[in-house]
Amino acid sequence: MAEILNIENINVYYGQIHALKDVSLKVNEGEIVALIGANGAGKTTTLRTVSGLLRSKTGSIKFMGNDISHTEAHKLVSMGVAHVPEGRHVFLQMTVQENLEMGAYTNSANLKEGLEDVYERFPRLKHRMNQIAGTLSGGEQQMLAMGRALMSKPKLMMLDEPSMGLAPILVQQIFDIVKELNKAGTTILLVEQNAEMALEVADRAYVLETGKIKLSGTGKELAQSDEIKKAYLGG
Amino acid sequence: MTFLSNLINGISLGSVYAIIALGYTMVYGIAKMLNFAHGDVIMVGAYISFCATTYLNLPPIVSVVLAMIVCTVLGVLIEGLAYKPLRKATSLAVLITAIGVSYFLQNVALLIWGSNPKTFSSMIHLGSVSLFDNKLIITAESIVTVLACIVIMIALTVFTKKSKMGKAMRAVSEDKDAAELMGINVNVTISVTFAIGSALAAIAGVLLCSAYPVLQPTTGSMPGIKAFTAAVFGGIGSIPGAMLGGILLGIIEIFSKSYISTQLADAIVFAVLIIVLLVKPTGILGKKITEKV
Repeated sequence: MAEILNIENINVYYGQIHALKDVSLKVNEGEIVALIGANGAGKTTTLRTVSGLLRSKTGSIKFMGNDISHTEAHKLVSMGVAHVPEGRHVFLQMTVQENLEMGAYTNSANLKEGLEDVYERFPRLKHRMNQIAGTLSGGEQQMLAMGRALMSKPKLMMLDEPSMGLAPILVQQIFDIVKELNKAGTTILLVEQNAEMALEVADRAYVLETGKIKLSGTGKELAQSDEIKKAYLGG
Repeated sequence: MTFLSNLINGISLGSVYAIIALGYTMVYGIAKMLNFAHGDVIMVGAYISFCATTYLNLPPIVSVVLAMIVCTVLGVLIEGLAYKPLRKATSLAVLITAIGVSYFLQNVALLIWGSNPKTFSSMIHLGSVSLFDNKLIITAESIVTVLACIVIMIALTVFTKKSKMGKAMRAVSEDKDAAELMGINVNVTISVTFAIGSALAAIAGVLLCSAYPVLQPTTGSMPGIKAFTAAVFGGIGSIPGAMLGGILLGIIEIFSKSYISTQLADAIVFAVLIIVLLVKPTGILGKKITEKV
């Protein structure tokens, strides 16, 4: 399996705070990799560093063999990285359709086909295509954020807490969509606090604790590890 | 008749405020900063147009285009040199820098053009319109100013709604990080915003000085502050808000001058702002978004 993302020993600081300490992780093509951990462990920071919104002081980040540790965030989209940020961050004052159009900003050739694909995958968005995104429910906004990311036809999709604040039935639905997207050929790096769900869908997973990778393994291995059970699965 | 004539003067002055306010509001919407040097860009625009017609004998329309070009370059330079390095700094640092840039521009103008006011001859060489047996005279300056304001308003609305850059600007104004993640180059978008705002400032400078012909290095500061007031009054960040705020402010100012007191006019203008903000802190058309979690 070809390596799609390779993070090696990155160190990220917020002023004096050392947020990521020598974090290394790999994502292979076609995988779902989960990054789990408690609040403040550095999961979001890791994703924001990959997408260029934050910078690592040392270490390297390679995407499909190219060093992207100094690439500006807006250039990564056309390289094939899509990042669905924590809290969805859809454009609340724009319509659903306009939000999706923004997703195809660097790939307008894919606009028509992309819209068809997204509306087929998320029929609820089609019903609401002319509605202002701010009027959508939390679950619909999450679908919109994922649909918007799909518009750029990403090779790697990074999802930050897609289940946050959603009702259990919706959480299941979102994870089903994640699995479908993966089957359709998108590699996924998933950040989750809901460790149980994340480990269930993930091929492999990493556990982040106060800025350090503490454990890694396949989803199954980690789900059965006593340490994980105690700390994250309420067992 | 005096009422009608005051109203027309008010709308005309208000249109100038509105054009300036658009620059404030667009920059605020996108870069989330108050560019207090914006008023002084107006002054530079007026001087460029003045010099082009007086010393180079260029036709007025060419002088306006030249002023727009110079101001666009100036706006982009100010942004790139003074504000861009402070993108991650506190808003207070940016505000102080903007005030610094404002004084810098005024003093450079003082060095180049001196402190003696220049008499700006109107760039609009058209006759006035007389109505009701010459009881109501509408100057060509008023008509052109109001028309310019309407055209700019429509053009900007279409631009932000339809064009790719316009949509990118809306995205950046709503959520910088998310816009960046869509592949939008936020820095370029901010530069374009400054370019548009500064080009509009040049137009506003020429229109302002055509109606009120005294040109000196401080010419831009008071209209700048009033246009800023207009932008806040209408709801900062909103393009129709800037328009509405500007025109209302112009009308209030002219009416206060003719019916209450010339000296108190400015005080009344700002008192109205305070009252509006007390009643509706987001301004007339300002939106408050409730975010879903």
